[in-house]
Amino acid sequence: MPDFSPEDNKLALKVVFYGPALSGKTTNLMQLHSLLNPERKGELMVLETRDDRTLFFDMLPIGLRSGSGLDLRLKLYTVPGQVQHDSTRKAVLSRADGVVFVADSQVAQQDNNAIAFGNLEDNLDKVGLDIDTLPMVVQFNKRDLPSVVEEAELQSRWAGTPWAPLAMASALQGKGVIETFRALLDRLYTVINAEFDLAGKHDIDRATFIGRLSASHGVGDA
Amino acid sequence: MRNFEDDPTLSDLLTPDQIRRLDGALSGLCREPVAISENRTEDAVPVEFNLETVGWLSGGASAGERKAAAELVSFLMLFVAKYRLAANIHHDTTEASYAELQRQNEALKASEAKYRELSDQLQQKVDEQVAVIRQTQQELYESARLRSVGHLAAGVAHEINNPVGFISSNLRVARDYVKNLEPLLPETTENRELLEDFNDLLSESIEGTDRIADIVADLKTFSSIDQADNALCDLNSLLRSAIHLIQTEYNHSLSIAESLAELPRIPGHPSRLSQTLFNLLDNAAQAVGDNGRILVRTLTDNTGIQVIIQDNGCGIPDKVRSQVFDAFFTTRPVGSGTGLGLTVARDSVRAHGGQLTLDSQEGAGTRVVLSLPVQQGS
Repeated sequence: MPDFSPEDNKLALKVVFYGPALSGKTTNLMQLHSLLNPERKGELMVLETRDDRTLFFDMLPIGLRSGSGLDLRLKLYTVPGQVQHDSTRKAVLSRADGVVFVADSQVAQQDNNAIAFGNLEDNLDKVGLDIDTLPMVVQFNKRDLPSVVEEAELQSRWAGTPWAPLAMASALQGKGVIETFRALLDRLYTVINAEFDLAGKHDIDRATFIGRLSASHGVGDA
Repeated sequence: MRNFEDDPTLSDLLTPDQIRRLDGALSGLCREPVAISENRTEDAVPVEFNLETVGWLSGGASAGERKAAAELVSFLMLFVAKYRLAANIHHDTTEASYAELQRQNEALKASEAKYRELSDQLQQKVDEQVAVIRQTQQELYESARLRSVGHLAAGVAHEINNPVGFISSNLRVARDYVKNLEPLLPETTENRELLEDFNDLLSESIEGTDRIADIVADLKTFSSIDQADNALCDLNSLLRSAIHLIQTEYNHSLSIAESLAELPRIPGHPSRLSQTLFNLLDNAAQAVGDNGRILVRTLTDNTGIQVIIQDNGCGIPDKVRSQVFDAFFTTRPVGSGTGLGLTVARDSVRAHGGQLTLDSQEGAGTRVVLSLPVQQGS
């Protein structure tokens, strides 16, 4: 849930990258760190890894300051995907304002996607969040690999869910990562604006919110 | 409790000692000493971590020096904070896991207790059922034994009845013949004595056969062989038969006073009622020994019949009084009592819708009251 401190005029939001092991959650975050050039960007904290696998979590803080002086922070977290780190996943997931579910496009990984999605549903329930109302984007990563499920098939399979359309990405190549993030910011804005009236009180409209938080190097504001 | 993800303050990340040491080291690098503080001062520059100003650095010879020193502190902060975050989430998840374990442990304990209780209840039920089966078996055995003894007694009685009948009538005829022979004999002292003796012999024999006939009649009543299972019973006659039998058993040594009121007949099992009365009388007889007295009374009112059997015998000690109705409880030597007398008596009385109460004082005697209802229309 959003953490608003009126005395500092500070609003902190939390976005969690969730998904099965080795689906590319940390890669997403690293690409965002190098591709994004938002108004304010902190250090990417890769907490602890073993054999390149996340043990705790990774965190990237970004932010903007509005004309009204609102200090808006967005902390992007990844969770460890391996099954045994479920309590850590749950701790990181608690109080999340948005989720990016990073799925593995490979045909052989579809079962793991389903298991991880079920685990997300369970853990959201345990930390008191509702998967149907939480802003969320589902990304199918690793589009660059040969044996992936066709995009058309994935889109039609997810068409009836609140998470359509799906985001396609190849995080290693930096493709689709920012698009995924922007899709999430778009859904996040709807919920946050409804609660804090960002547009009315703080002069942050949807385009400003998305554009200033996801400005990328070179291309400029979206 | 703070969340692992809350932005840390300067004092969360570094102890005052560490800050002093950092101040010292940085001052050594700068031309003028610098100091880190949580409070902002005039010339201070912010020390940032995660977009958050965690402290202020002041002093130094120039703004460039301050900026460089602050940047160095921020850089250090990153690694301190990394460790702190990892430690915090580890602490959080460990606590959560432990709480979950404890919760599961509690649930397990509760379910174990539930199963133990269930198992105890089951065992108790099994024990109760075993006791019921045991008692029923024993009673069945007892009643089968009584029935076969009854059949035997009835059979013997029937067989004896005929010979006793003609012996008795022959003896009477013989006595008449002796009377007829009397005038035909020469009148001598010797002959007269002989005849008197002969008459006495015949009279005693007739008395004997009458007694045999009585016993046979009692036996038949007692075993109720010629009665249906369910019949209208005359409790007084059942009682008299039982008294005769008990007297026979004790060689007519008992002093039994009867005071029997006129009673309505009640429906019931004559043999079971006879057995009950016999058991109660037998207990009284055992209690009084050779010198006691037994009083048997019957009385009736509108609602029922009461049979009271009272003795002035040894009584029942207080400590065993609660057990006397228990099956197989007996104070008699092994082999001489089954411990079923009162049990069977009480069960029979209950089967007839009545009740058996016992009042006793050790050394003074025992009074047993058997109450049976008089049913409508009987």
